[in-house]
Amino acid sequence: MRHYLDLIPISEKVHKRQTRMTRLCIVFAVFLVAVIFGMADMEIQSQIWQSVQSDGGWHAGFKDLTQEQAAIIRARPEVVRSSRYAVTNYRVDMGYTITGKETAICGFDETMTELFPAAEVAEGRFAYSEDEAVATRSIQKQTGADIGDTVTLVTPEGKINFVISGFTGDHSMLTTADAFGIFLNTDTYEEYFTGATEAEDFMLYVEFSPFCDIQGTITDICKQLDIDRDTVGQNTKLLGLMFQSDDPYMTSFFHIAAVLAVLVAVAGMLMISSSLNSNVAQRTEFFGMLRCLGAEPGQVARFVRREALRWCLTAIPTGLAASILVVWGLSATLRYLSPGYFAGMPVFGISLPGIGAGTILGLATVLLAVRSPAKKASKVSPLAAVSGNAGTVPEAKKAADTRFFHVDTALGIHHAWGSRKNFFLMAGSFAFSIILFLSFSPAIDFMNHAIRPLKPSTADLSVISEDNTCSLPRDLAEELSRNPAVRRVYGRSFAFHLPAKGSSGVTAVDLVSYERNQFAWAKVVDGSAEEAQKGEGVLVGYYEASDKDSLKAGDVVQIEVEGETRQVAVSGVLSDIPFNPTEGAQILICSEALFEQLTGQEDYTVIDMQLESGATDADVEQIREAAGEGVTFSDQRLANSEAKGAYYSFALCLYGFLVIIALISALSIINSISMSVSARMKQYGAMRAIGMSIGQVIRMVAAEAVTYVFWGILFGCAAGLALNRMLYAMLVAERWGTEWYIPVAALLVILLSVTGSVLWAVKDPAKRIRNMSVVETIGAE
Amino acid sequence: MDILKVEHLSKTYGDGEARVEALKDVSFQLEKGEFVAVAGESGSGKSTLLNCIGGLDTPDRGKVWLDGEDIFSMKEKKRTIFRRRNIGFIFQSFRLVTELNVEQNIVFPMLLDYQKPDRARVEEILEVLGLADRRKHLPGQLSGGQQQRVAIGRALAMRPQIILADEPTGNLDSGNSRDVMDLLMKASRYYQQTILMITHNTALTSSVDRVLRVRDGVLTDLGGVQP
Repeated sequence: MRHYLDLIPISEKVHKRQTRMTRLCIVFAVFLVAVIFGMADMEIQSQIWQSVQSDGGWHAGFKDLTQEQAAIIRARPEVVRSSRYAVTNYRVDMGYTITGKETAICGFDETMTELFPAAEVAEGRFAYSEDEAVATRSIQKQTGADIGDTVTLVTPEGKINFVISGFTGDHSMLTTADAFGIFLNTDTYEEYFTGATEAEDFMLYVEFSPFCDIQGTITDICKQLDIDRDTVGQNTKLLGLMFQSDDPYMTSFFHIAAVLAVLVAVAGMLMISSSLNSNVAQRTEFFGMLRCLGAEPGQVARFVRREALRWCLTAIPTGLAASILVVWGLSATLRYLSPGYFAGMPVFGISLPGIGAGTILGLATVLLAVRSPAKKASKVSPLAAVSGNAGTVPEAKKAADTRFFHVDTALGIHHAWGSRKNFFLMAGSFAFSIILFLSFSPAIDFMNHAIRPLKPSTADLSVISEDNTCSLPRDLAEELSRNPAVRRVYGRSFAFHLPAKGSSGVTAVDLVSYERNQFAWAKVVDGSAEEAQKGEGVLVGYYEASDKDSLKAGDVVQIEVEGETRQVAVSGVLSDIPFNPTEGAQILICSEALFEQLTGQEDYTVIDMQLESGATDADVEQIREAAGEGVTFSDQRLANSEAKGAYYSFALCLYGFLVIIALISALSIINSISMSVSARMKQYGAMRAIGMSIGQVIRMVAAEAVTYVFWGILFGCAAGLALNRMLYAMLVAERWGTEWYIPVAALLVILLSVTGSVLWAVKDPAKRIRNMSVVETIGAE
Repeated sequence: MDILKVEHLSKTYGDGEARVEALKDVSFQLEKGEFVAVAGESGSGKSTLLNCIGGLDTPDRGKVWLDGEDIFSMKEKKRTIFRRRNIGFIFQSFRLVTELNVEQNIVFPMLLDYQKPDRARVEEILEVLGLADRRKHLPGQLSGGQQQRVAIGRALAMRPQIILADEPTGNLDSGNSRDVMDLLMKASRYYQQTILMITHNTALTSSVDRVLRVRDGVLTDLGGVQP
């Protein structure tokens, strides 16, 4: 030993068990930060991939450019790639068709296939010559056309023939609308379509170098070419993911992320600090001894700081290693849950920002956290070496109340209340976690309401009448349900914009029939669905019912169908109706029997299908064939998967944050109880000597923990439930009308995690008490 | 009638060169109502003897019989209950529960035993110890002498078979030491209380019934005379 700080490794060996919790806290803090940043990094990488796949890798789109202006932009050193692009029949409603199906026509340079992976030619080659076109895969599947074949595009101006030079993948927007797409080179496009397209002119899509200031470059280009900056389109999501967006939504998103990271870092700091305080309290005599032997307070503080930094040597790599494993596990889970959406998520990705943030924040957190315990240790009186009391047990000001509880329990409660500051910190930290937990749970309700693909009624495939009439025979639904790949089939009949009169200001209604499944999924917020299901009433949607001019439960409506007036009563209000009414009309839901009675129609307008989990593309093709010609076949699997991906990302973020809150408060109570036990060990020894059993001592410790938790739960639930109700009203009830309910599941999770942390908090001290030698504890006079 | 019987008690600490024989084949008996002092130098083994008799420490060999019960044949939990009902402890540094007032500290062993405190007994103890007017005070509000009186009261509360006092005057000035000794003497005579007191202060052994001396782990019965 050449320096007094060389004592640290020796002391570490002796106090290995005592320092375990502190080392664990550092590991945990590093782990949390690294996981948060690591997952954010993976998520950003995945989102960038997803964004590039769905919206393209372009950064800015300039329109109304002259050839010269386009050339100037293309010549800029910041521009990596660029392509001209134009589209006709974007909304697939302009009457451009191939074999009767609406077709979107895009024209662009070949570089667009790099800017827009969805436009990549999967088979064959790009359409270089004038009469060539790249077709979407759906054209190949549905018309049987192959490379080299000619397809005829019917336009309002006439027919144009194209030779298929290659095939490209399907786009969710086109498959949902049951439309085709063809891609042409810009010269061919210009020849046939300029002037027909809605936008009329080409856009110049540009990808900039990721290392330049993209916003600055766009401003510069606008200034140089005298372009109105507001007319420049931006790929906001991609730019946001590259931290290059000035979009207020993205900026506020990053602010929230930064605040959460700071919150986690602060919580980690508090956790490490309380653990170090507990550690210092357990070694009061050791620090007192150092002081007795002549160590200056500064030297003791340096000792504590150096010791904490030494723990970082092993704790930070351990935390980082654990975080990498968890990030891999979470990435794999997300890929498994939503393979389409998270296809771009790295399987065994190493996140350098995650590792960097974990290391830097870990070290900074430890250095900040160690300040208070180092100060405390340096203030230990040399007398503590002989008395063993660092003054951590506050002087009692009031006697414990032994009237209502046994003395062991009464003393435990009294210990909890002994230091008001500590009590409010402890109970407050529990209450805070509960409040956060309960405040977050309406967000889950919101998510479940807002993201439709997660609703039980979400369809994978839909067969829709082309002219929106009741033209799909019921037999078709039955036939489709016989396909083994189809799990469930449910149809709806629509009668649009029927003139109506009622007690409210209703003038027209869209009458829609529900069958058994849809009635079962419908959530009634007022009245009942039973009468409607029996054909004795109709249902309206809440969002419409909340409008004062709209129909409400109990209202009577006169509907005019083919000159005849029929009367129906509104028997209930539904939380949500998953489709929009025609303009000026209100949707009325009725049974199939009532629909037939009112309109005389018995066939469907829409037939929805849910598929078995293992259903393949070949199954879908078979179903499409079964659905026959002259119908719109909407494949929503891709779009559902995208929405599900968004849901899982959101859920992971939400639940992840809740878990972090719960874990931090659990660790804080563990440290606090451990510290309290360390400070009172001598007292426990004396109590054991005069006849307190081990069970009674543990009960006393447990009573202390339970007191914090009881008050924490009381305050937390009172404030948390009030907030929960308020947020539920704002986020959910106002929009969907569902009534607030006591979040029993969330409360159970809280109670279970709180009970778990109390048991965990008492476990270690209980072990120490069991192993305590009464003689040694009371013998150190 | 023997209330305490110690037979061939031996206790060794450490191994090899660090091995210390704290007690070497110690045997003696105490009769009911006897006030016996165990005298000896620091490190002679007297505290080890007291801890073994109180069931706080386990001897390597030998037996301790208290009121006919072999305390080391009991399991830990039973021994703890036996201890709180039959052995009163008085420590040099009082060891009162700082969160309990004087009265609560005195009845503490009864509370641990989930018994309803005997009011008359508590009043009597408070009177005898001169603490009646301080019954609601917390230990932090008392002087050292008063705190030790509370500790004596706590030791007497359960009417134990024996009181084990470990240097009860070690932290007190001479006046308070005299008072504490008078009280112990009074308890011994008034309640027929058996007391085994450890001390290294030979002056305190003058008023006891019998003196045992421990030197290097060996116990010698000096009888009712000063060494």
